[in-house]
Amino acid sequence: MYDSQTARKIAEKRALDSTDQEIIVKAIDDGTETVWDRFADQQPQCGFGQLGICCNRCTMGPCRIEPFGKKPTRGVCGATADLIVARNMLDDLSTGAAAHSDHGREVLEVLLDTAEGRSQGYQIQDEEKLLRVASEYGINTDGREKEAIAGDLARAMLEEYGTLKNQIQLVERAPQKTKEAWKKAGIVPRSVDREIVEAMHRVHMGVGADYANILVHAMRTSLSDGWGGSMMATEGSDILFGTPVPCTTLANLGTLSKDKVNVVLHGHNPILSEMIVKAAEDPALVKRAEEKGAKGINLVGMCCTGNELSMRHGIPMAGSLLDQELAIATGAVEVMVIDYQCIFPSITHTASCYHTKVVTTSEKSKVQGALYKEFRPETGLDTAKEIIALAIENFPSRNPDRVRIPATPVRMMAGFSEEAIKTALGGSYKPLINAIVAGEVKGVVGVVGCNNPKVKQDYGHVTLAKELIKRDILVVETGCAAIASGKAGLLVPEAADLAGEGLKAVCKALGIPPALHMGSCVDCSRILVLAAHVADELGVGIGDLPLGGAAPEWYSQKAVSIATYFVASGVYTVLGIPPKIFGSQNVLDLLTTQLKDVVNASFAVEPDPVKAADLLEAEIERKREALGI
Amino acid sequence: MRTVFVKPELCIGCRHCEVACAVEHAQSRNLYDAIHEEKVSQPRIHVETRLNYLTFPNRCRHCDPAPCMQVCPTEALYQDTDTDSVVVDYERCIGCAVCAMACPFGIITFQSVHQLSTEREVNAKCDNCIERQQDGKIPACVEACKTGALEFGDANDLVRTSRKDFTLRMLASEGDTEIRTIPRNIRAFRAIMEEIASMS
Repeated sequence: MYDSQTARKIAEKRALDSTDQEIIVKAIDDGTETVWDRFADQQPQCGFGQLGICCNRCTMGPCRIEPFGKKPTRGVCGATADLIVARNMLDDLSTGAAAHSDHGREVLEVLLDTAEGRSQGYQIQDEEKLLRVASEYGINTDGREKEAIAGDLARAMLEEYGTLKNQIQLVERAPQKTKEAWKKAGIVPRSVDREIVEAMHRVHMGVGADYANILVHAMRTSLSDGWGGSMMATEGSDILFGTPVPCTTLANLGTLSKDKVNVVLHGHNPILSEMIVKAAEDPALVKRAEEKGAKGINLVGMCCTGNELSMRHGIPMAGSLLDQELAIATGAVEVMVIDYQCIFPSITHTASCYHTKVVTTSEKSKVQGALYKEFRPETGLDTAKEIIALAIENFPSRNPDRVRIPATPVRMMAGFSEEAIKTALGGSYKPLINAIVAGEVKGVVGVVGCNNPKVKQDYGHVTLAKELIKRDILVVETGCAAIASGKAGLLVPEAADLAGEGLKAVCKALGIPPALHMGSCVDCSRILVLAAHVADELGVGIGDLPLGGAAPEWYSQKAVSIATYFVASGVYTVLGIPPKIFGSQNVLDLLTTQLKDVVNASFAVEPDPVKAADLLEAEIERKREALGI
Repeated sequence: MRTVFVKPELCIGCRHCEVACAVEHAQSRNLYDAIHEEKVSQPRIHVETRLNYLTFPNRCRHCDPAPCMQVCPTEALYQDTDTDSVVVDYERCIGCAVCAMACPFGIITFQSVHQLSTEREVNAKCDNCIERQQDGKIPACVEACKTGALEFGDANDLVRTSRKDFTLRMLASEGDTEIRTIPRNIRAFRAIMEEIASMS
């Protein structure tokens, strides 16, 4: 279709990373459709939708508001632009909160099954954390078997989804001052499911016409995710699979192997993938792979399932959202196992251009053209072995003439859970606080979120992370943002050389990278816990701390929820892609300015990562000044 | 001279005009049936974007003299003087595409049309919704446009409105004159999208 020079130029526009560029060129040569082609086909995209002033909820509509100040100024029902924008945002946010929280529920169900002896291959890996979290729930731990405690904890956490207590227990982890702000604003989350169900109620026609009141509920719903569903996903996974500790692994598409059976583990929930890690070590299967001419079995991670596995097992990281098709386009993937979230619905179409088999594992997330191997806790390991066997059987179908694997994977460190960061600091947050007070570290920014074809892949993440560390701002990362930094070589202690003098000295003293991989997108909850601990040590609220958040390349409704619970918790957050709220100046004013009076934080939108760093630095300075440091 | 006036600054790329055009030229003239017709009607107006995410609805200007008409070897194109429209006689069109080469706006596209019994593709450009106009209606694309990016009327009247806006802007020092401007939130959004576009 294109000559090689043109293809090269296109690839350079699409992605920052040279290994990605190499495979983008191959995909173009192979005629394989990718997300960038579909993005181009979608241009121009509807302005009513982008501005959030399209309402397609009922059959009096669909309606749209004229954005230039003429008629129609109201939908058929009478909704204004403000109301339509607010309802749409609440809808998006609730979808994201539901995705995180439902993921958490499944982890807790496996924890319960394991506690009651019904699961296959699982065991409680972190007893210390089990006891710690159980005591938060007031569960008696004295002299009891860990399974009995885990059973009680899993049940207590599963009850949070519909609890009648009127408050999620883990909200107690927030600093006093933060909780008081929430109480005053009426946004203490009452249960996980309740907020989401109520959100669905509130977006129905005729349930409230006050955009601000709807956005207040959006904040409460986001808190039920951050301090509820997501936090329980993180805690449940840590108890079941172990709390991550720093480990070194490799990143980018070069982690795929030329001579081993390649299995890509893609999605978000680690429950089945943990069993696949076990199954891949099965001597019989390794032998079978060798009989088929392979030199072994190579597991690589993708997106947040990849993050979960890299931080607990050092499984190499093939890439992020926009790498899923590229991994297949290497021609070297025998099986891509998917659980759910962020899997392109066209993934089987992409796979059909090569020998790759796509395996779906969740009853919730079936894809036409994929093989379906249902995951059930009681047969988890058997299913995992079946999937590995399928990959081995598919190895001889690989066509070496159509394989291209980039040469050099990049080293990265993962596994900086909140507990691991504390350990790296010597068991207390004092050294970090001292460094912040002394100004060696000006503050901390969580760079999180997805990829989006509207931005050159990883450009926003990597430029922002580099810009922040240069200004002595410690970066903590999750999701695709963490993977971007991994691919760019920022997640190794040597990257401290790119940091400002103050941060560099702190990193060198502790032997840590200037950007810390804190996990998957549900692990943004780890950032909240870290912030809460630091705030508690200082006796302030999270909103008083010199913190920031950024989602330079976000696309997903989950990111709407994360950004909102960051802001609601007191963390100023800069978005690199405009959310669908620009159709309402009132909503813009509320979210970018007026919220500061409620939670001492707000949203900002700034695509340019250097300018975003300016905004974050200014906010950090504002908070440092207020703290008198 | 009646024409469709385009105000690109008011176009937000929703493509309502494209859908309305396709439906208007479908055999059924009904959205739900149009998408299932044997020869699916394609829009004759084209909303396109370039590098900055701004959009422009590009439509036949119904020129007089019309270059497409002048070069057509079979005289398939003719002028409807009642509506100032350049129209195609599908039976006469031989699909040679010389008209498309001559068109200064690149709006001529070819497709199978329900009026012909064969599958052959003919010049199926904008017909200015002649039939609607004969019924006293405005073209479908203009009717569908919710932002006023497309306006139908006497060319001089439409130009006069723009001229008046300009004059007011020149004289706006009094400060009490209401001139339609692009709202702050929309300008902010466009600036952000332009920034995103400039990053890649």
